[in-house]
Amino acid sequence: MKVFANLAKPYMVWMTLFIVIPMLLIVLFAFTTHGNSVLAFKFTLANFGKFFDPVFLKVMLKSMEVAIITTLLCILIGYPIAYVIANVKEQWQTLLMLLITIPMWINMLVRTYAWISILSDSGLINSFLAYLHMGPIKMMYTDFAVILGMVYNFLPFMILSIYTALAKMDKAVINASYDLGANGTQTFLRIIFPLSLPGVISGITLVFLPAVSTFIIPKFLGGGQYMLIGNLIENQFITVGEWNFGSAISLIMAMIIMGSMYLTRRMDKDIVEQAQSAHGGAKW
Amino acid sequence: MVGSKNRFLFGAILIGTVLFFFYAPIMSLMIFSFNNSRSLTAWAGFSTQWYTALFNNREMMNAINTTVLVAVMSTFISTAVGTLTAIGISKSRKIIREIVINVNSFPILNPEIVTAIGLMLLYSSLSIEKGLLTMLLAHIIFSTPYVILSVLPKLRSLDPDIAEAAMDLGATPMQALRKVIVPLILPGVISGALIAFTMSFDDFVISYFVSGNGVKNISIMVYTMSKRINPSINALSTILVVIITLVLLVINLLPLLKKKEVRGVE
Amino acid sequence: MKKIGFSILLVSIMMSGCQTSKPTLKVFSWGAYIDDNVISSFEEENDCIVIYDMFESNEAMYTKLLSQESYDVLVPSDYMVQRLIQEDLLRPLDHSLISNEAGLMSGLLKKEFDPNNTYSLPYFWGNVGLMYNTKNVSEDDITSEGWNILKDTEYKGKIYFYDSERDAFMVALKALGYSTNTTSTFQLDKAFEWLKVLDNTMAPVYAADDIIDNMIQGNKDIAMVYSGDAAYIISQNPDMAYYVPEQGTNLWIDSMVISNKAKEITLANKWINYMLDPEIARLNSEYVGYSSPVQTVFTELSQTSFAGNNAYTPRIDYVLDEVFKYDETVKRIIAEQWLKIKAQ
Repeated sequence: MKVFANLAKPYMVWMTLFIVIPMLLIVLFAFTTHGNSVLAFKFTLANFGKFFDPVFLKVMLKSMEVAIITTLLCILIGYPIAYVIANVKEQWQTLLMLLITIPMWINMLVRTYAWISILSDSGLINSFLAYLHMGPIKMMYTDFAVILGMVYNFLPFMILSIYTALAKMDKAVINASYDLGANGTQTFLRIIFPLSLPGVISGITLVFLPAVSTFIIPKFLGGGQYMLIGNLIENQFITVGEWNFGSAISLIMAMIIMGSMYLTRRMDKDIVEQAQSAHGGAKW
Repeated sequence: MVGSKNRFLFGAILIGTVLFFFYAPIMSLMIFSFNNSRSLTAWAGFSTQWYTALFNNREMMNAINTTVLVAVMSTFISTAVGTLTAIGISKSRKIIREIVINVNSFPILNPEIVTAIGLMLLYSSLSIEKGLLTMLLAHIIFSTPYVILSVLPKLRSLDPDIAEAAMDLGATPMQALRKVIVPLILPGVISGALIAFTMSFDDFVISYFVSGNGVKNISIMVYTMSKRINPSINALSTILVVIITLVLLVINLLPLLKKKEVRGVE
Repeated sequence: MKKIGFSILLVSIMMSGCQTSKPTLKVFSWGAYIDDNVISSFEEENDCIVIYDMFESNEAMYTKLLSQESYDVLVPSDYMVQRLIQEDLLRPLDHSLISNEAGLMSGLLKKEFDPNNTYSLPYFWGNVGLMYNTKNVSEDDITSEGWNILKDTEYKGKIYFYDSERDAFMVALKALGYSTNTTSTFQLDKAFEWLKVLDNTMAPVYAADDIIDNMIQGNKDIAMVYSGDAAYIISQNPDMAYYVPEQGTNLWIDSMVISNKAKEITLANKWINYMLDPEIARLNSEYVGYSSPVQTVFTELSQTSFAGNNAYTPRIDYVLDEVFKYDETVKRIIAEQWLKIKAQ
C-alpha cells in the first residue's frame, strides 16, 4: 500500500535530523578537541585518554557497582512482592498494583527530595531516635542514602515487570505440575520462576539503565563528593564547559550500557528457549 | 493447607511494609506542606502559607504554565506524528521498517542524559537560541518513539487487507485512514498519548540541558528550589500527588465499577 | 471537532509566545540573591517584564553564555568579570544612567579586574571564612588552626566544604602560606595534595547553597562559607559564629555587568542604577544577608539588623586578603584537579 507507506517519510527525515545527527555530534565532539563550535576542531584521541585515569575509571566502576546493587535489591524485594500480589484475588490485584504504581507517576525529583528531610542528621528519623534517647545515625551523603534513593525510585518498575510476567502465566501449566506430583517448591523452581524470567529481565533493563546514568539521586542524597558517571557528564557539560571530554565519557557509558543490554537480550532469548522447553515438557 | 494462613500473614506484612516504604516519604512531604514554620522536620502548627506563597511566586506559576503547555502540545504532536508514522511503516517494505524501528529505539534505549547532550550539541551547533520552542521540540523528539512503539503492536494485529477492502468499497485513502484504521488502533494511540504526556510532564534531565533563557518547567523549578529548605516545593508536590492519585484512581477503578453495574443489571 | 481543538492550541501558543509588547529585561544572577519584591517594583516602575534566571556558579554561568543564551545583565564575580572583559563579551556601562554609583564604598571600586569600572559595578561583596558551632568547636582551635582546622581529624565527618574549585584552592593555598593567584605549578600541586589529604581523612561533604539551611539546623559543626551566608546563618542560629583566619582569605566582589549581546541596553543600565538605589539595596541586603556595597546602607545595617554580626562586616584592608585574578592555564589545572578530588 504505497499510499500509506508515504506517511512514514516525514518522520524519517525528522528522525535523521533529530535522532541520528545528535548522536553523530556526540561522536564528533568525542573525537575532536576544543572549540565548542562545530567548525573549529581537530581530531584526537586525547579525550578518551583522559578518561583512562584511575580516578575516572573508579567513577565508572562505582556507578556500575551502585547500579548492580540497586538492581539486585530491586529483584530481591520486588520478586516476592510481585509473586504475592499475583496470587491474591483478582480485584485485590488491581488495587494493589495501582497502589504500587502511583508513586511511579510522581516526579522523580520530588520523590528524591522527600528523603532529604527524612535522612538528614536532624531529620525525621534522627528526631525520632533522639526521642527514644538513641544516638543520631549518619545517613545523608552515604552509599546507603544513594542506594536507598535509587531503590525507592526504581522498585515499582521491577515489581510491575515481574507482576506482568507472572499474571500472564498460563495457570494450566502450574496446575499440571501439581497434578504430576510436584510440591510447591519444585513447581516454583522449575516452572514458575523460569517462565517469569522474561519479566525479571525486562525489569533489570528498566532499573539498571537509569540507575547507572542518573545524576539527580547522587546529587541530592550523596552530596558533591558522590560522583557517579552521570554527575561527571553533567559537570563537564554544565559547569566546566569541556564538551569534548563530556562527549567522550557519554560515548563510553553508552557503549557499556548497550553492551550490557545486548548481553541481557541474548540471555533473554536463551532463557526464553529454556523456559519454553520446560513448558513443553510439562505439558506432555 | 496449614501453611496458608502463615503465608497470608507473611504476604500481608511484606506488602504492608513495602507500601509503607513507598508512601511514608510522600506522606511526610504532604504533611509538612501545611507546616506553620519553615521546617521540614519539626511541626509548628497548621498553616496554608506555603500554598499562598506558591501561587504568589510568579516564576513558579510560569513554570507550571510552561510545563502544561509543553506537555499538551508535545503530546498532541507526537501522538499525531507517531501514529501516522507507525501506520506508514507497517505498510512499508521490510527494510524500511527495520531501519525506522531500530533508529527509533535509540532515544528509548539511550540514557536520558545522552539524548539530552546530543540535543544540546545540536542546538549549539546550529546556533539556535534556547527557549520554549527548543524545549517543545526536544519533548516531541523523545516522546514520538514511545507513541510509535505503542501503536505498532495494535497495527500488527490488524487484518492487513482491511484498508484495501475499504478502498475497494469506494473509500479514499484518507477516509480509510480516519474511519477504519485509526478507530481499530485507538487503544494503542491513547496509551501512547498517555505515555507521551507523562514523560513530558515529568521530564527533568532533557529539559534541564536544552532549555534556557528563563524558560523552566516544574522539574527544573524543583531542582533549583531544592537547594534551600522551601516548603513551597512540598505544597507543589502535594498538589501534584493529589491530582495524579485522583486521575489514576478514576481511570482504573471506573471500568471496574462499570463491570459491577453490568453484573448487577444481569 | 478536531479542527476546533487544533485552533485553540494554535491560539494559545501564539498567546503565550508573544505575551509581550512590553520590553523584556533578562537578568542572570545567583540563586536567592535578590528580594523578589524588588523585581516586581522595577517592572512596575519601568513598565517592562523581567526574566530573572539563576546560576549556581560562575563557571556554570560562563558555560551557559557559551551555548547561545543571551542575557542583558549578568552578575559574575571579580575574576569572571576579568575573563569576560578579556574575551570581549561585555558592553561598557552607560554611567550617565547610573547616578547612584556615587553612593558606593570607594574601597570596592577601581579594582584590578576592572580598573575604571568601565564595565562593572559592585552588587554584593564579602569574603570567605569558617562558620562554626560554638557549642561543639572550641574558639581556641579555630583561632589557632585557621584553615587547617578543616583537616583536624577531631572534626572528621562534621565539615562542609564549599563545592567551588576556586575557593577550594584558595583555602589550600592560604593554609600553605601561598598567594591565591599563584601561577606556580609547584604551589598548585602542593595545594592539590592538601585537598587530597582533606578528602581522604575528613570525609567532608561538598555542597553549595544547601550548606545554609543545614548549618542553621546544626547538622555539621564547621563549614567553609561566604560571609553573606554566614551573616544569614548567624541571624537564624545564634550558636553559630564566623571566623576569618589570619592566614588570609579571598575578598570577593560580585558585580553587575552588561553582556555585549544585550538587547535592552537602556533598561539594563536602569536596572543597575536601581540596584544601587539605597532603598532597594537595603531591601536586598537585609533579605539576602550579604554585605551591601552602598555606603549608607552598609553603615546603617551594620548597626541595626546585623549589629554584632561580624560576618556582615568583613575586613577590607588586611594585606593577606586577595581578590581573585583570572588566568586561563591555572583555571584549567584547578578545574581538572578539583574534579579528581571530588571523584576520589
